[in-house]
Amino acid sequence: MKNRRDFLKTAAVASATIATTGLLTGCDGFDADPQSPVVFTPGKPLPWINWAGNQSCFPSARLAPAHEDELVAMLKGANGAGGTIRAVGASHSFSAVVPTNDTLITTDLLSGVISHDPTSVQAEIWAGTRMHNLGPMLHEIGQALPNQPDMDYPAMGGAIACSAHATGKGFGSMSSYVTGLTLATPSGELLECSATSHAAVFQAARTSLGALGIVSRLTLQNLPAFKLVETNRVEKTEDVLDDFAARIAHHRHFEFLPLPHTSLCATVTTDIAKDGDVNVGEEDSSAAHTLRKVYNALSWLPAIGDAAYEKVLTMALGGAGSEIRTGQSFEVFPHVRTTRFREMEYTVPAELGAACVREILQTIKDKKIPVCFPLEYRYVKADDIWLSMFEGRDGIAISVHQYGDLDYKAYFSQIEPIFWKYQGRPHWGKIHTLKEPQLAALYPHHWQDFKELRQSLDPAGRMLNAHLKSLFGIQNSVNSGS
Amino acid sequence: MPLTKHCTAMLFGLLFLHSAIFAADLTERQAQLLANNCVQCHARAQIGAPIMGNAADWKERSKQGEEKMLMNVVVGLRGMPPLGYCSACDEQDFRALIRFMANLPEVDRPADRNAVKGDTK
Repeated sequence: MKNRRDFLKTAAVASATIATTGLLTGCDGFDADPQSPVVFTPGKPLPWINWAGNQSCFPSARLAPAHEDELVAMLKGANGAGGTIRAVGASHSFSAVVPTNDTLITTDLLSGVISHDPTSVQAEIWAGTRMHNLGPMLHEIGQALPNQPDMDYPAMGGAIACSAHATGKGFGSMSSYVTGLTLATPSGELLECSATSHAAVFQAARTSLGALGIVSRLTLQNLPAFKLVETNRVEKTEDVLDDFAARIAHHRHFEFLPLPHTSLCATVTTDIAKDGDVNVGEEDSSAAHTLRKVYNALSWLPAIGDAAYEKVLTMALGGAGSEIRTGQSFEVFPHVRTTRFREMEYTVPAELGAACVREILQTIKDKKIPVCFPLEYRYVKADDIWLSMFEGRDGIAISVHQYGDLDYKAYFSQIEPIFWKYQGRPHWGKIHTLKEPQLAALYPHHWQDFKELRQSLDPAGRMLNAHLKSLFGIQNSVNSGS
Repeated sequence: MPLTKHCTAMLFGLLFLHSAIFAADLTERQAQLLANNCVQCHARAQIGAPIMGNAADWKERSKQGEEKMLMNVVVGLRGMPPLGYCSACDEQDFRALIRFMANLPEVDRPADRNAVKGDTK
């Protein structure tokens, strides 16, 4: 059977043949050159740059503790630590949660499983453990994360700090699997927190943006190791929206990725694997690039650009069979990301998700916004974590993306107000423009609790960079928590 | 066994051999940085990243020279993220990791002597 990779490549060639060269619009240009605006000269100070290349800084001290006591000492000022202190894991956040030109503490060397309990199926890990390492580590002790995002590059501490999530009606964010944590406070105290010990700190630190100190250890509620089977298909977006409630009810995980300027979407359905499940087809890590070629080749056509684009994609994708991936959970959940992009994501109340994504797709079409990168639509279960995007309500997380070498601002600025209309809460690690007043209104239960706790743990505001100060409404010259 | 898993298994076997031969090139800390950051792409077949220890993958890239490879690593290039995900790495770490993966010889360079050392501790 011909797979989606072959079909997409055929589509790209067909599109290029249809189109006249030299008349392409704004979606052209590939990321063949370095994408960061930062210049580095060997022998000169080393910058910090995030994965997407849209955040950077030149920290005067870049510290990498190999032990918890070293972390504590650094928070107390050892090794030249001073000024604003920020922690960094895998640098995967799109928002400015990391940059500081003072002290950057990296958690790379705080990695691995510390202990585990087969009876409770829990494991204590170092917070710097990267997700791609954690899967095999847990597998060795017969455990697995209940759910994982669709990429496994982040450090667990960073994922928890921003309430990273995946999809599934029965599954909360990564933060919701945390049953205990150790917080190294800005004053250098180690607090062991859980639902019964420092309970308020626990509820705040499970999604803290790194504002309360640096989490050194996490205790995770896992599951016995399990296998999954993931089925990828191309379907009609409206059909999927109509059937969404049934799909999330009947499958362990379900998400879909609408293709702008078309009626099509890619669906991803994941369930516990059965005996006899086998891989079919091959994952195409360059699909986003190929999609862009097709779009670029056709979108310039006056009046009929969208129609031609959809027709070619329908020919290319409509006949493609399912791609199936199966294996251990930590092998199936993540996908390779070789295409750089920038992302904005808001979580809206679950019952408003369909209306919100329909309005976004219609807006892209009506305003002729030149974008071909798929959206993403996922379901996340409610939790009780103070600053979790899912606090108090099941949510639909809707993401919009733009290629890393294109300006995302004009596109995102036209979509972000739609999220506001549907009570959307922005993902802490992704691009958004909200400040303290709007955020306080979106978190009516515990916003003030968090601010007061932050003030008590860090009265001098040492953990706050400019971005966090804007989020929490704190003036640069005044370290007030109120 | 699916082909991709077979290839992955082979890769890790080669990686083990390669590591055994060249382990002395990296400090313990650098080996941990390699495991946490580089291995996720450079020991994974079919995603476009050059595989560590595979001379054919590195032949053309190595012609650019270590300085250019270092600059590409720091600011990112195509699928290669800035800093290769490694915020803990300093310039000396990056040079050691590049040499290790591409099997480049260590030579005396003025830039090495002038590099900002020890900005990670």
